[in-house]
Amino acid sequence: MAGRLLLVCRLLVRDLRRRPIETILLVVAISAATGTLTLGLALNDVADRPYERTRAATAGPDVVARPHTTGQRALAALAPLTTSAGVTGHSGPYPVAFLVMTAHGRTVHTVVEGRDTAPARVDRPVVTEGTWVRPGGVVVERAFADALGVRAGDEVGVDGRRLRVLGTAVTTARPTYPYAGWIDPDSALVERGGLVWVHRADIATLAGARPLSYTLNLELADPDAGAAFVDSATTLHAGELSTWQGIAEQDGRLVADAREALLVGSWLLAALSIAGVTGVVAGRVVGRRRRVGLLKAVGAGPAMVAVVHLAEYLVIGLAAAGIGLAAGLLAAPALIRPSAGLLGVVDTRPPALSTVVAAVSLAVVIATAATLVPVVRAAFASTIHALADAATPPRRRRWRVRLSRRLPVTLLIGIRVNARRPRRARLVTVNTLITTTVLVAVLMNHAQDEPFDLGYTDLVDPRAERTDQALLVLTVVLGVLALLNAVVTTWTAVLDARRPLAVARTLGATPAQAGLGLGVAQLLPAIPGVAAGIPVGLGLYTIVGPGELRYPPDSWLLATALGVLLVGAALTAVPAMVAARRPVADALGSTPA
Amino acid sequence: MTESVLRARGLTRRYGRGSGMVRAVDEVDLSVPAGESLAIMGPSGCGKSTLLHLLGGLQRPTAGRVWLAGRRLDTMSERSLARLRRDSVGFVFQSFHLMDELTAVENVELAALLAGRSPRQARRRAGYLLDRVGLADRADHLPSALSGGQRQRVAVARALSNEPLVVLADEPTGNLDSAATLEILRLFEDLRTEGQTLVVVTHDSRIAAIADRMITMRDGAFADDSRLAVTAPVHGGWR
Repeated sequence: MAGRLLLVCRLLVRDLRRRPIETILLVVAISAATGTLTLGLALNDVADRPYERTRAATAGPDVVARPHTTGQRALAALAPLTTSAGVTGHSGPYPVAFLVMTAHGRTVHTVVEGRDTAPARVDRPVVTEGTWVRPGGVVVERAFADALGVRAGDEVGVDGRRLRVLGTAVTTARPTYPYAGWIDPDSALVERGGLVWVHRADIATLAGARPLSYTLNLELADPDAGAAFVDSATTLHAGELSTWQGIAEQDGRLVADAREALLVGSWLLAALSIAGVTGVVAGRVVGRRRRVGLLKAVGAGPAMVAVVHLAEYLVIGLAAAGIGLAAGLLAAPALIRPSAGLLGVVDTRPPALSTVVAAVSLAVVIATAATLVPVVRAAFASTIHALADAATPPRRRRWRVRLSRRLPVTLLIGIRVNARRPRRARLVTVNTLITTTVLVAVLMNHAQDEPFDLGYTDLVDPRAERTDQALLVLTVVLGVLALLNAVVTTWTAVLDARRPLAVARTLGATPAQAGLGLGVAQLLPAIPGVAAGIPVGLGLYTIVGPGELRYPPDSWLLATALGVLLVGAALTAVPAMVAARRPVADALGSTPA
Repeated sequence: MTESVLRARGLTRRYGRGSGMVRAVDEVDLSVPAGESLAIMGPSGCGKSTLLHLLGGLQRPTAGRVWLAGRRLDTMSERSLARLRRDSVGFVFQSFHLMDELTAVENVELAALLAGRSPRQARRRAGYLLDRVGLADRADHLPSALSGGQRQRVAVARALSNEPLVVLADEPTGNLDSAATLEILRLFEDLRTEGQTLVVVTHDSRIAAIADRMITMRDGAFADDSRLAVTAPVHGGWR
C-alpha cells in the first residue's frame, strides 16, 4: 500500500513539474470559478460584520418607529411606545423633514433629522469627520457624503437654504444611502435618498410650511425580540417599525444584486471551467498514453492507472480551490466598500465554513467532471495500443464528409477537421455559448434604467454601482477563461490535425487553405454557441433580473455576437497559420501514423 | 534524348550546425526522364527519404536546385509548391497516410476535390482508379477494414488522382507483408509499363528489380547509378 502511495505521489510530482504550463492553465481555470463563487458567498458575511460593529459603537436602536402621520398626531402615535413592555430605553422622538439637498450642482432627496447637540442614550451617530450638529450646520451620513462628494467645511443647500457641512457621521438607525427612506409627502411613497442631521432648532425653518414627521429609537430588554415587539405594538396604526435586523438586511441590499450576479456567474464560470479543463485534460491524457501503456505493462491495473491520474487532478483542484478562496475573500471588501456607510475595516478572515466547503466542492466537482471520462478511458485502454502511442481513431461522420465534398477547399478542410473530433467542437460551442450568455446578460444590465431615480438626481446608485463592479469582475474573469479555453482548444485542434493537414498539403492544399481550414474548424462550432448565447443571456437575466425589463438594442447584440466570433477567429488565426507554415515533411514524420 | 521531368543539381540538405551537422543529402545531381522508373536504395538514414521530400517540394534544400517539368521548386513559394504538388506530383508513403475517417473512395477523391474538381468528376475519377488498382469492391470500406496491401493500393490510387507527371513513393512496401508487397509490385510494374514516371525509395530489392534504373545512396550521396534491364515481369500470368 505504502509503495503504491509512493508511486502515485512520485508520478504526480514529476508530471506536475514536467508540464508546468498545462498545470497553470488548469489551476487558473478552476480557481476562476471557485474565486467567483467565494466572492459571491463572501459578500453576505462581509456585509453583516461592519453593521454589527457600527451598531455597537453607535448604541444603535433595537427598533425604530416612524409614523406616516405628521405633527401632533405622529407624536401621539409614538408616545405609548416608550412605555411599552420590553422597552428599556429610547431616544426621540426626533423631528424629520423630507426635503431636497443640493451640493456641487446636484440635487438629491434628503431625509433631514433634527437632533440635539448632546448625545442621546440610543442612537449616538459616530462622527467620522468634523463635528456633531450645532445650529446653522448640517452633518451628512458618510455614504451619502461620499456619493455627493462633500466634506466638512463645504456648503450645501437644503431646500434653498445654505448650510455649512459640519461633519460626516454613521448610524444604524437608518439604512445607509440610498435607503434612508425618503417619503414623498404627496404620495407617501418611500423613495431613495440620503440622511443628514441638523440641529433640532433649525429643522422647522428648513421645513417651512411642510409639517414635520417624527422618528423614535427604542432599546429593548431583549434586542433579538424586535420582531415580537413589532407584532405586539398595535398603537402605531399608520407607520413603520423597523428592527435592527431589518435595517441590517436593507444595508445588505446594497450588494444583493452583485451577490446574485456573482453566484449565477460562478455557475456559468464553473461550466466554462469544466469545458476548459476537459480540453486540457484530454490533451494531457493523449500526451501520456504511452505512460499509461507502460504502467499497465508493468502490472498496474485500470484502478491504479485511474488513481494516478485522478490524484493529480484532485491536487490541482484543491490548490485551485485555495487560490480561488483567497482571491475571492481578498476581492470581497473592495467590492462591498462598507466604509462608506458603516464603521471599521472589513475582516473576512476566517471565511465561513460553508464558503470554504462550497469552493472546495466546486473545485473537486470541476476536476472530477472534466477528468473522469478521459481518465477512465485511458485506464481501460488496450496496453498494446497505448504502448504504440496510437491516437484514438477519429469517428466517421458520413453526412459531414458528404456535405463538405460540395464546398470550397477551406470549408471542406474545416468541416472534416471538426468531424474528426466532434467533442472538441462541442467544447468550442459551450465556450462561446457561455461567453455570449454572460456578455448579453451584462448588456441587459446596462440596458436597465432606474425608474425611481430618474428626474431627481444624477448620482450614481451605489447598488447599481456595486452590481456593475461585480459584473465587471465576472466579465474579466470570464474573458480570461474564455480566451484560455479558445487557445487550448485551438492548439489541441492544431496538434490533432497535424497529420491530416500535412496529407492535405501533400495532395496540393496550400498553407493558406490549410490554415484557414483550421480557423474555420474553430469558427463553425462557435456560430451556434453565439446564436444560442443571445437568447440564453436574455432569458437568464429575465429570470434573475428585476421585474420590468428593457432589452438592449439589436445593434448591441449583433456587435457582441460579431465581437465574440472575431476574437475567436483572431485567437485561432495565429496557431492555425503557424501550423500551416510548418514543413509538411516534418509534420508527416513527427506524428504517429 | 527524352526530356527530364525531374532534375536536381548540387542538391543539399543539412541539419544542425558545427560538429553536430548532418548532411542528409549532399550535393546530389539527378535527372529523371519522362516515363522512367527509378529506384533509390541504400541503408537506413542515408538520406533517401529526405531526397524524395526535396524532389517533391515537401522540404526545401539547404543548397542546390530542383526542377520539376522545367520549373524550379527551390525558389517557389509554399503556395506555388502546393499547386505544383497538386497538379504534377503524386506521393505514396510507407505508412499510407490515409484519412482514417474516410472511405477508400473518399480518400482517393480527396486530391481531386482539393484541386477544385466537381464532386461528380472527383468521384468518377476515384472510382476508375480504385477499379484500376483492383479495389472497386472495397470503395466504401474504411481504411481500418482494409489490409495493409489494400491500403497502400488506395494510397497509390490517390497519388494518381490528378494524373501526376511523377509519382514519388517512400518505402511503399516497408509496412507490408510478402503477399501485400507482391500486390504493390504488380501495381508499380503496371505503372512502369504504362509510362508513368516513378521514383521509388526502397529497401526492397524486388521493387528495385522492376525499375528501369537504380541509384544506391550512402551518407547522403549517390554511390552507384545503374540502368537495369527488366528481365521478367513480376506478375507473370497475373491477370
